[in-house]
This record gives sequence, C-alpha cells and structure tokens, in this order.
Amino acid sequence: MSREVTVYDAIVVGSGMTGGWAAKELTALGLRTLVLEAGRPISPERDAREHVAPFEMPFRGLGDRKHIDARQTVQQKSVTFDEMSHQFWTDDIDNPYTTSDTRRFDWFRSRQVGGKSIIWGRQAYRMSDLDFGANARDGIAVDWPIRYADIAPWYDTVERFIGVSGQAERLSQLPDGAFLPPMAMNCVEQHVQSRIAAKYGRERVLTIGRAAVLTTAMNGRAPCHYCGPCHRGCSTRSYFSSVNATLPVAQATGRMTLRPFSVVRSLVYDATRRRVSGVRVIDMRTGSEHSFSARIVFLCASAIESARLLLNSVSPQFPNGLANSSDQVGRNIMDHIKWGGATGQIDGFDDRRVIGERPNGIYVPRFRNVSAPHPDFLRGYGFQGGAGRSGWDAAARAPGLGAAFKQRLTTPGPWSMSFAGFGEMLPRATNRATIDPTLKDRWGVPALHIEAQWSENELAIHRDMGVTASELLDAAGARNIRAHTHGPSTPGNANHEMGAARMGRDPKTSVLNGWNQAWDVPNLFITDGAFMTSSGCQNPSLTYMAMTARACHHAVQELKRRNI
Amino acid sequence: MERRELLGWMVTTGGLAALNRLSTSDLLSLGRDAHVRAVASPVTAPALDARAAAIVSAAAERIIPATDTPGATQANVTAFIETMLGGWYAPADRERFVAGLVELDARARELFTRAFVTCDPSQQVSLLEEYDDAVSALRGAQDTSANAHWFAMLKYLTVWGYCTSEVGMRELLHTWPMPMRYDGNAKVGA
Repeated sequence: MSREVTVYDAIVVGSGMTGGWAAKELTALGLRTLVLEAGRPISPERDAREHVAPFEMPFRGLGDRKHIDARQTVQQKSVTFDEMSHQFWTDDIDNPYTTSDTRRFDWFRSRQVGGKSIIWGRQAYRMSDLDFGANARDGIAVDWPIRYADIAPWYDTVERFIGVSGQAERLSQLPDGAFLPPMAMNCVEQHVQSRIAAKYGRERVLTIGRAAVLTTAMNGRAPCHYCGPCHRGCSTRSYFSSVNATLPVAQATGRMTLRPFSVVRSLVYDATRRRVSGVRVIDMRTGSEHSFSARIVFLCASAIESARLLLNSVSPQFPNGLANSSDQVGRNIMDHIKWGGATGQIDGFDDRRVIGERPNGIYVPRFRNVSAPHPDFLRGYGFQGGAGRSGWDAAARAPGLGAAFKQRLTTPGPWSMSFAGFGEMLPRATNRATIDPTLKDRWGVPALHIEAQWSENELAIHRDMGVTASELLDAAGARNIRAHTHGPSTPGNANHEMGAARMGRDPKTSVLNGWNQAWDVPNLFITDGAFMTSSGCQNPSLTYMAMTARACHHAVQELKRRNI
Repeated sequence: MERRELLGWMVTTGGLAALNRLSTSDLLSLGRDAHVRAVASPVTAPALDARAAAIVSAAAERIIPATDTPGATQANVTAFIETMLGGWYAPADRERFVAGLVELDARARELFTRAFVTCDPSQQVSLLEEYDDAVSALRGAQDTSANAHWFAMLKYLTVWGYCTSEVGMRELLHTWPMPMRYDGNAKVGA
C-alpha cells in the first residue's frame, strides 16, 4: 500500500457549491490549498449535454430505465434527474445508506468535480432576520449565532461573482441583492402578477425567480441562451456552478491542487495540539490509501456527508465522532416540505405562446407569519411556479388516429398557471443520521442510517399551501382551480438537506460557532449546509456560499493571528 | 435552428469568445462529441421479428400518416419502438405488446381475409379504431390498466417517437429544442 504524505496550508473536502468557494477564497488569500473530490473530473466543454436533442438520445429523454432502476433507485427521484443528467448523480449501489420505512429520507448525492452545483435548481434567495431570529423568537432548538447584518456583505460578494438575475422588491422577509437584469415573465404570468397585486397589494407578491443564471455577460461567462436543461451542464457557463466559475479562478492562482477520485475516509486528530492535522484518503480507482496534512480543514462535502465524516473519525478524545462533544453531529437534519399548491386554467391568451426555455420560474415570497401570527403553524413557505401551455405530450393519450389526430398534436393546450410550495422544516434532534452498524460503501467506508419525519407544523404548512395557492389563482381569475392532492414530499426530496452540524452560541448544544468553526477543534470549519440552525423556506445554496466566503476570511485572519 | 447554425451562434457570441482555453475547433466539436457519446450507449438487439416490425410500421403510419408533412414511417418510429421494447420495457410489457400485434393480425385475417400489412389503409384504420375505442372505453371507466393496453403502448410510443424525431420536430411541430431566445408573448403560428 502506497502512502503519500503531503503538507498544505488548507484542505477542502468537496468541490461543489461550497468547496469551490472555499477553494477560490483560500487561494486568493494566499493559501496552498488541496481540494479533495470523491468523483471524476468534469469540464463544461467536455461533459455538458444540454444541447443533445431528443432524437440524439437512445431513449428520447425517457432515460435508460433498466440501468437507472438497477443502480440509481434513490437518485432518480430528483426533479433534475434525466437521461442526460443521470451521469451527475451517484450510483446507489456503490454509495448505499439505510433508512426506515416509516421515517424515510431521500438522500441525493453527487460525486464529481462540481458536485451538486452542476445539477442544482439555481434559485438564489437571501435569508433575513425573520429567519435568523426565528428560533430565539419561537423558543425552538437553539438561536442562530449570527444575524442578517453579519452575512449581508457576504451575500453581496457572492452575488457579484456568481451573477443572480432578479427583480428588487423591497420586502423585509426576502432582502434584495446585487441583481443582474431579471428574466422576463410570460404574458400569463404578467397577467396573474397584476391581478394578485390588485387584490393583495404588498402582502402577497409575485415576482420573477431570482436565479444564478446570467442575463448579461460576466467574468468571461456568456449570458443564458434559453436552451433549457441546465442540469445537463452548460457549455457557455451561463449558470453558476463551481466548474463554471469558482474552480477556474482558484486554479488560475496557481495555489490550488485539485485531486479527483479521492474518497475521504476520516479526519486525523492530533490530541496534543487539539487540532485536526489532516485527512485519510482512499483513491477511488486503485484503492490505495493516502494521508494529507494541512493547517486548516474545510468540510464542504454536503451537509450529511460531512456529518458522516465526523462520525467516522473516532479517537479516544472523541469516541462519538470528531467535534461531537455536544452530541449534535448528525442531528437536526432538515429539508423543505413540498408538493402542496394548486393549478388553474387562465383564459384569454389563446393566440399567445412561449418561445424558448426559461431556466427559471416565478416566485411568491413567504407571506405567512410575516406581519401577523398564523393560528395553525410557525414559520412559512414560498411558492415557485409559472404559466405555460401543454403540447403534444398531452395529446398522446387522447382518442383518435390519422390526419385529424396528427393535427391535434400541433395544437397547444390551454394556458395553466401553477404554484408549488417550499415550506420551512423545524429542526428536531430525532431527525438524525447515525453510522449504520454493518453497511459499508464500495470503498469500505461505514455508511449512514438516516431517519427523518415531518412534524405537525410542517404538515400544517403543507395543507395551507393548497389553500393559499387556490386563493392566488382565484384572484387571478383562473378556472378549474385544483389544489394539489398528493401528500407531502419525502424528507430530502427537495434536495435542500441541511443541519447535522449546527452552529450556535453554546458549545454544549451546537457543533460550530458563528464562524462555521468547530467549537471542539478550532482549525476545522464546516461550511456546507450542515451549519444551518434553522431552514428558512428559501432555497439555501446562496446562504451556504456566503457563509463559506465569510468563514474563509475568518480562518485566514485567525491563522495570521496564530490563534489556530 | 440547425446544429451548424447553433454552433455558429455560439462562436459568434461576444460573451462566449471570452471563454479562454476553449478554441473555436474545440467548440465546434462540442456538439458533435456529445452527439457521438449520446448515441454510442449500448442498446439491446431489436426486440421484434421482421413480421412484427412490419405490423408496427404499418400501424404507426396509420396513427400518424404522411400528409403535407412526413408521417411515422419517415420519422423512423419503428426503430424507436424496438429500442424501447428491447432496452426499456420489462419482458412482460414486451410480451403483451407482441401478443397484441398477433391479435391484430388475426383480426385482419378474420375481417378482411388478409394479413394486416396487406390490408388497404382504410381497412387498417378501421381495425386500429376498434382498439383505440377499447382503450378509450377503459379510460372512460377510470380503469388504471388503460395505459398498459398494447394499443395504448403502441400509440403512445408512436406519438413520442414521432414528436421527438428530427423530422417531426422540424416539419410538423416547428419546435426546435434550442430556439436560443426567450419570448413569453409570441403569437401562435408565428
């Protein structure tokens, strides 16, 4: 067994949404940085598939079902999984985990350079003090150690680099950002927007989604050309991903070493110095083991994977997992509850249609528990959605054949408008990942057992989504309004898993301090979604990125002061 | 928009030119490479014998006939259906489908004393309409097995195969997958 030992200033575990930011910031601040990625290298030019036409795919977009059913039983449940994007999700046989039948959890994972930043939904929203103050106000879990003023300048930094298109709305619960020009709403969305504004004023606002997709050229990246399937990769680098934006900048400093095929097995703890001294890595292709050392370590492996790494790093000082004296590692897993909402038909626009595929929808920022308390639940939800007309796919199950049937395929269906909610999930210690006693992944690393369940608060939020979405459609003058009848999504299915190593104000009840720094191990930082103390209802990636950039600057400052 | 035009558009876009490290020839090969990789994945051997394939071709052409625009035959729908039966559906689905073709052929001999493929188009249409009506009746009765009926499969696959084919998208639907712009208020037919 070969053992390669090399010393760096910093090690970043993971190369996705937050790993790319850690790489960019730490190298910019002068640190020789090793980025470890468990998967293969990806380049937009070589691996993007967004321009493959349906007739160029063997299954015409329906996916290689037999392969997928055999190897990707969990991953295929993600909304951005398709015949061309399946390559950007893990193999569930090689990367197993267990869950419980009654407390199921969908764990979506990526192992390649770029991680899940390649297949994310690109919605980019700021959290506000309505969110950062929520736990303290409600007496739930623990208080966030930060407030909006702490993160606001870092939101600016991130938005100015990644490019977020959107419309300023001056809403306290959803702060505006440094926006590129907004994408256009279609004619029916504009109609619905004005009708909702007439009825609800500033209480319920419909705006265009805030998306990390360029509407003007920026930093060498081209504006979006509206081809549609972003999750297959983007050869023009128009949407933000680490391979499209942060990693190239880190590479250009000459201080980044990016090592793909590197499965991190555990962290090494130096009990004398009370610091993490490095990581143990298994080479995915050869199985050989390597050790790397550094002055600081950033975990950016994704929220639950980072918890797994800590739980798998046991030592006499930390028998329950590294940095886990609080026993909070693996606990308080959150996601967003989905699948509540409504759809209705809008008349009067039959001579209008949409050309192009806008990689973005509309957004209705949270309006529950903003100014007045709701009797049934804490917190709230936002709506995503949009308007469109059905095409030939709706006619495929219609009766008839021959020339008349063929003609029907070309006739667009009625306009329909949909709202789909994303609701806040309260943190609970029992929603938890633990090391499975027997199961290991293909590389011999102990796998996780994950259990999660909605509480009555989330279920009440889910029920309310159908009610208020119907009210919005009614205000818009829609016909045939149908509240969505399916039950809530499985926890994890929103692909917004977070928590599992929360930040707080007290080392006894939290894993990280307000700088994403482990209370127990001062040179260890966790900046993926694991740090989240509460979930908000906003898509969370923008917050992860801002907190990563902030933590990097703090870590380097502490290094310079010789505090770590 | 043709692939060539698409790539041309990409290279002439100002923002894209700034993507250093990417030469023009790299860029031009980008779409072609993706194409080759996409079609290179292994697909199981054809799932229908020549006789069954001929029935599928004839039936698909009646479902979406050539008019002033190409029909199912020109869109090569049968090859797509064979790919799906061989590489996508479960064996039981394929067997049900093939049994349906045998039944259709037997029905043709019963009513018109000849094989389905040698029936004239109006005879083929009347035969297929029997099955289309049967599927509609199942749907009308909220029978959840409707989509699993062999004719529902044939029709759905014919529509899917045609509407995702290059000729179908170009000639009938006029929906090229990459129009390269967004207009949320375009006129229908324009």
